[in-house]
Amino acid sequence: MSVIRLTGVTKRYDTEAEIIEALKAVDFRAERGEMVVVTGPSGSGKSTMLNMIGLLDSPTEGTVHLDGRNVTDFTEDERTEERRSQLGFVFQDFHLLPMLTAVENVELPSMWDTDVDRRDRAVDLLRRVSLGDRLSHTPDELSGGQQQRVAIARALINEPDILLADEPTGNLDQATGETVLDEITRLKNEENIAVVAITHDEQLVGYADRVVRLVDGVVQE
Amino acid sequence: MLGIVIGVMAIASLGMTGVALEQQATSNLENLANEVSVSPGEDIETDGITAEQVATIRDVAPAATVIPQKSNATELAARNGAEANVQVTGVTNPAPLYDIASGDDPTRLQTGALISASTAEQLGLQLGDPVEYDGQIYRIRGFIAAESGFGPSGGGELVLPESALSDQEYYNSVTVIAADGEASTATANAIEAEFNDADDEILTATSFASVQENISSFTDTLELALLGIGSISLFVASVAILNVMLMSTIERRGEIGVLRAVGVRRGEVLRMILTEAAFLGAVGGLVGSVGSLVVGLALFQVLTGDATLALEWSSSRYLLYGMLFALIASVLSGIYPAWTAANESPVDTLRG
Repeated sequence: MSVIRLTGVTKRYDTEAEIIEALKAVDFRAERGEMVVVTGPSGSGKSTMLNMIGLLDSPTEGTVHLDGRNVTDFTEDERTEERRSQLGFVFQDFHLLPMLTAVENVELPSMWDTDVDRRDRAVDLLRRVSLGDRLSHTPDELSGGQQQRVAIARALINEPDILLADEPTGNLDQATGETVLDEITRLKNEENIAVVAITHDEQLVGYADRVVRLVDGVVQE
Repeated sequence: MLGIVIGVMAIASLGMTGVALEQQATSNLENLANEVSVSPGEDIETDGITAEQVATIRDVAPAATVIPQKSNATELAARNGAEANVQVTGVTNPAPLYDIASGDDPTRLQTGALISASTAEQLGLQLGDPVEYDGQIYRIRGFIAAESGFGPSGGGELVLPESALSDQEYYNSVTVIAADGEASTATANAIEAEFNDADDEILTATSFASVQENISSFTDTLELALLGIGSISLFVASVAILNVMLMSTIERRGEIGVLRAVGVRRGEVLRMILTEAAFLGAVGGLVGSVGSLVVGLALFQVLTGDATLALEWSSSRYLLYGMLFALIASVLSGIYPAWTAANESPVDTLRG
């Protein structure tokens, strides 16, 4: 069973001038242990699709199934709960909070839980991305690659089923990008999670189990 | 943060200024509150207050001490050539009227004289030295301490037995000392009622208690005015705090978007921003209060000469008010930005 499935998903944006159809009847699925890379030119609807998969936005038409459950019409609060428990996000700009240390950034999504193991798990995750010696460093004391690895650890703190990555290597040089992708691949296998990454970067395609091309909001697999 | 500190300082300092001014204005009058000063009115037929009128005053206020006084002015010359203009008061019972710095404090002044300590110093006079008035010699029996509050001050004063001014037939003023401020007001009213009617004002009776009331009502008005200015500062400070909160939320829109994307609930974002606002308010309030305390201590030192009065509840409570204001205003100002931030779609906030 696919851990995430989009069926006939269409997303329209009403602007004053025109109606923009960012996604047109898109079908998409991803399995556990699989890395799916979504590529396509700018404005092809990649980010919109990631927002659908990441339950950050809801489709105009079509359905979204998460782990076999129809989550299309979930309220914002219900979607927040799903994001918290099932999804992990990695962004191009890392989006770490500058005032917090590496380990605090990793703990962030579960900061409000009364989970006593939180700190231990955060430390364990940072060790697994080879940052065991950078626990109390703040983001400005870390390199780009290290910051992205902190972001990956943060994405995994709540033991998600799906890791969503928006241009994860977009701000990294070739060698650092490779390290980060190796890290993602290893964790994908260890945790048996689905990874969905959107990118322009051909380097990422080499790590993909499957590539989905998106042009003008239409999937060309 | 600075906005909060300035707001708290404005409110607390203005409040304390009001208290300091009131204390300064009333402290000088406290010991005079039970006195009534009677002077000739506009319509008196004689050239002063007559002995019969003094007797009537005694009848009107049987429980009070009635002290009639004659006054004049003269120039005293010392052997060393120094000269001083003094006001001469002829009175039989000077003790309740004057604070004596050294020497006698007579309740029946039959011979001898009292003189202002400052004048005595100016003229190089000692206790027992003679002064001359109207051809008569009087020996100095006591020095009058510096006057506080009302009463003849500034120039020096020479107090002589009433007989020294016997060529004056009438009294220039009568001081009535009642039991307390309330009794003095009643006595002043009774005296005016006894001597005056709607058309004629024979005697004017002024109680210091009523003067004190006037001053107190003036300082109340002053305090209200200060409070008005304080309210404006309060408003400005509130707007400043609201601005701080709005700016800080706008600046961190992206961060809040990330928090929402990774599954942080709306309520948790709200709580986080409000906690931060409260913290900001508490720290700002504390810093502002410490600043105001310094201002208050300086103010009280200058106005009343006793800095520790600033610590009394009547003025130090404004520090608490200022701090409470900072806390409440910060949290209130935090609600709107926090609510907006928490309810914005994470997609929009992430886009920046």
